[in-house]
Amino acid sequence: MASRYLATYRQFWRLNTLTMLEYKTNFFIWLFFTIIYHGVAVGTIWIMMSRFPSMNGWSWREVFFLYALYMLAHTLNNTFFFTIGDVPTHVQEGDFDRFLVRPLDPLFQVLSQPGQIWPDELALAVVVFGVAQSLVHLQWTAASAVLLVLAMFGGALIDFAIQLAVATLSFWVIRLDTLRWVVMSLENDFTRYPLSIYNRGVRILLAYVFPFAFMNYFPATTLLHKTSGPGYTINPALGWLTPVIGMLWFAGAYLFWRAGVNHYKGTGS
Amino acid sequence: MIIRAEHLTKTFRTRRRGDGVMGTLTSLFSRAYDDKLAVRDVSFDLEPGELVGYIGPNGAGKSTTIKMLTGILVPTSGECSVNGIVPWQNRTQNGKQIGVVFGQRTQLYWDLPLKESFELLRAIYGIPADVYERNMAEFTKVLALDEFIRTPVRQLSLGQRMRGDFAAALLHNPPVVFLDEPTIGLDVVAKEAIREFIARTNRERGTTFILTTHDLNDVEKLCDRIIIIDHGQKLYDGRIEAIKRRYGRQRILVAEIDGFCADCEIPIPGVRKLSQAGARVSFEFDRERVSADELIVALAKQYELKDVTISEPELEAIIREIYLKGLGVDAPVAEALT
Repeated sequence: MASRYLATYRQFWRLNTLTMLEYKTNFFIWLFFTIIYHGVAVGTIWIMMSRFPSMNGWSWREVFFLYALYMLAHTLNNTFFFTIGDVPTHVQEGDFDRFLVRPLDPLFQVLSQPGQIWPDELALAVVVFGVAQSLVHLQWTAASAVLLVLAMFGGALIDFAIQLAVATLSFWVIRLDTLRWVVMSLENDFTRYPLSIYNRGVRILLAYVFPFAFMNYFPATTLLHKTSGPGYTINPALGWLTPVIGMLWFAGAYLFWRAGVNHYKGTGS
Repeated sequence: MIIRAEHLTKTFRTRRRGDGVMGTLTSLFSRAYDDKLAVRDVSFDLEPGELVGYIGPNGAGKSTTIKMLTGILVPTSGECSVNGIVPWQNRTQNGKQIGVVFGQRTQLYWDLPLKESFELLRAIYGIPADVYERNMAEFTKVLALDEFIRTPVRQLSLGQRMRGDFAAALLHNPPVVFLDEPTIGLDVVAKEAIREFIARTNRERGTTFILTTHDLNDVEKLCDRIIIIDHGQKLYDGRIEAIKRRYGRQRILVAEIDGFCADCEIPIPGVRKLSQAGARVSFEFDRERVSADELIVALAKQYELKDVTISEPELEAIIREIYLKGLGVDAPVAEALT
């Protein structure tokens, strides 16, 4: 049983590598645009920050660190859970049937569909983070190292769980593009700057509704000891909560997914 | 028995939608539903090693039945089991013992060489090395996979892709295989290759097949037994020979007559002239009332016959009549010759 899962996952990565070698040009184009994309993001932060000496007490180095931390979690999610975004297509085209007639868990099968999935973006994130941590002179202690790992994996789990929940809606709703776009830009745009600069509504949205703030903001406040600023204080323990939030969100999203699959089995689309 | 369907019923419930903007808005809040009965009280049993054609017009409920038997859909009521396992309750166990070919969709990976899809399936089904190698050797030979096994699937012709899909579905030695339109869109040669492979697998491995198709040649060449379904209900379940005997009483005789006859008629009850093209005259006759022998003798008495051919009723013509008129009618085979 477990050996079939392991063997399938091994094949999945072997085939991803094979696709990378088969489509070398595409790989390099993809890599090029990944670098450009993150370069533009970092450039925007730099331009913004060059106009203000600090943003709510955050220097440009610290905001860059915030982005690097987000990038670590987000690219980790993209590397291992990227294909969750294909669920709406699988459901619309009827390919989802295929996952139900094979002797493995359907969610596992969705996540192990070989394709153009490579850890290039994750590698880039590690490099960017390396630069960022030296810029802010991150104090490396056992605690900060553990917190960092927890933030990275917990953050990836939050990212994945939210995308899983959104993808699950496609069992009921045919067109999801708008909602996916809204959630994606919420994640991309609002995680770049400290949460404290936003108004109350956005803060609630990012901390409680779609808890993207736990991917980078709360861990960063703990790591950089920036738990208080003009007019606010943050409990440093919040930074440690990322994996808990991730697991809770994943548990909820997975139950929702199960309900979605059952609905599909009842209605056939 | 290996497949059992008992009073299998599936109702699809869709929310009733109004027309226009207001209608759409109100339907969001209303609880009005439309129930569509896709499969209605269908029962049948299959013995191991049977190769059964499951046929019916578009929207008859064929695919819905197959989806219930493969565990994709949960029946609204009734029961089914495959090899003693209830498919929707025990999806994973059922998955191991069935193979599925959807003619309209492939389970092969578009960007990868065909061989790699097999490697992935080997892992998914946990196929032991010896079984995998034996099956690969056999399928490579029988389906001539050698020519394209290293080619990315997107570059394969439909016929090649289908051969790949059959190998993929049978790699784990499933005792039961569901084929949903397996020959759709294929040319005559490719169809023949697929049919031969199905027949061979059924004969040599004793694999049980259920086959849905619109091409009745598939059924006629492969199956002894057919189940006909329409509007979700089972219309017929039995041997093809029996349906032909029962519903295909009409035969057609084409005579080539030497010399000119402006208006050839045969005044025997049960015989009807269909058409005449020059010296070729076709008659339709009811073989329960007139034997071919009698008809030829009667013809020969009046005319000089150069040639005579008699055609068997074609399954397609019979089935078409059953779809159109139900089981009550006797199906003429007039169109069969034209």
